Amino acid sequence: MKKQSLCMLLALAALPLLAQADTGSVMIVSPADNATLKAMADNKISYDVTPGPQGDHTHLYVDGREIAVLRELKGSYALKSLTPGAHDLCIKVVNKNHTPVGIEKCVKVKVE
Amino acid sequence: MDLQNLAYALVQLAHNFGAVAVTGGAIAGWLSLRRDAAPTTGLLWLVLAGWSVQAASGAGFGLISLAYYGQFPDLHGVAIVALLVKLTCATAGLLLSLLSLKFAGNWSAARRRHAWTALVGLAATALSAAAFLRWFA
Repeated sequence: MKKQSLCMLLALAALPLLAQADTGSVMIVSPADNATLKAMADNKISYDVTPGPQGDHTHLYVDGREIAVLRELKGSYALKSLTPGAHDLCIKVVNKNHTPVGIEKCVKVKVE
Repeated sequence: MDLQNLAYALVQLAHNFGAVAVTGGAIAGWLSLRRDAAPTTGLLWLVLAGWSVQAASGAGFGLISLAYYGQFPDLHGVAIVALLVKLTCATAGLLLSLLSLKFAGNWSAARRRHAWTALVGLAATALSAAAFLRWFA
């Protein structure tokens, strides 16, 4: 009986984690994965987001560091001061409490 | 009804009423002193309870995120500064209201007035920081 109660309790505790199976998507229209960008060019990232039921808006990350809050679900953002070298660009859907809900897309770019 | 949204909403509800308590309580106490009437300890208890609710519900926002997504909210730049300001105000508000409850009976009128003015200032600063935390996160 005690074992059954414990299992039930664990199952209930795991419910919130299962709830993150959101339907939604992030599409990075450009740059393409493994694209090469010119350091002196006006580089920008173009995206199209479907936030899913728990998502609200998106955050943009360069090399794991958040650089912008993107309120529009479709649009573009200027990538200023990208230094030469390899970079990871990620867009993550976050909820109203600014927590990533697990829907994201990343691309790798090389800046010359 | 979505349980996650319900959890966030209930924490927000507590947070909003906490904000009303720390601001309204401090302003009422400050106005009482301006009218040369001593604020009741009830107002200090209200402010203390308000800051306690603010601290607990603030932590609650993070804990709900942790429970559902395994991580805290992603904040950066101005939002981090705003959060630190709020945390500082909550800590100072809790300490000052506690000290006032315990020792204000022995304080001079000027010191009591300073304490209430500081409580109003802390509440106003925390409220202002909340706006920046909301929109710069």
